Amino acid sequence: MRIVKQLMAIPGVIAAGEYAYRGDRFSYEGALTDEFARMASIVCRANTLSVNMQSEIFDSFSENCGCRPVQGWIVRGNQITICAVGNYFAFIENRDELLNDVMTIMRAKVGDVQDDLLVNLYARLGGDTKEALY
Amino acid sequence: MDLQKMMNLPGALAAFTYSDKGDLQSHVLREGTELTPQVLDLLARSCVANLAIAGMEARGWEAVTGQSGFQPLKGFSVVGLEWSVVVDGNCGVVVKNRDADYEATFNALQAG
Repeated sequence: MRIVKQLMAIPGVIAAGEYAYRGDRFSYEGALTDEFARMASIVCRANTLSVNMQSEIFDSFSENCGCRPVQGWIVRGNQITICAVGNYFAFIENRDELLNDVMTIMRAKVGDVQDDLLVNLYARLGGDTKEALY
Repeated sequence: MDLQKMMNLPGALAAFTYSDKGDLQSHVLREGTELTPQVLDLLARSCVANLAIAGMEARGWEAVTGQSGFQPLKGFSVVGLEWSVVVDGNCGVVVKNRDADYEATFNALQAG
């Protein structure tokens, strides 16, 4: 939650959270209800897995082309932007320089996402993730 | 869309346009990049798919939560290990993460 707190300290960040595994385990701060944070977690996990699948396809055509593993994604809305890096997400206002600042902080704090995303996400639950998954 | 102008964005490695179906229509690649026209072709198709999915999610989110501010969408970006692809409408730019200015890139695509 340290990263979430750091994100929430930035003016213009509406909400931030962390999710794990099926997207139904999450924590968050900011202007979301529990139910909306649960929905956001599911959407973020689904999109993260989707773009990871796409990057594996790109990689199969051009090995080490620089896209894999995917670190995150951004949806730029009319007034609100959603940033997702690893298993963290942030809803932010479209203010000057805020998107760049938030992405820089998220990339720096979350660190590089490792190759096996599902293990990475599942590891948040603890235990032997390899055994549980495979 | 002036692709050469897009190539002046910070960290730009490639710029491309695509049809509504995702067919790559034109592209410019920075010399020495690992990217290939084939990867751009696949990227273009994924961009159309991702924008459509994001549009559906934004519409659903606004309807369910009552929270406005997402529609109309102004773009989508996938952040890879070394580079990001930033897209809006029928144009995309691949930018090196180290030098990326996401806001400037989204703004340039919208102004395009």
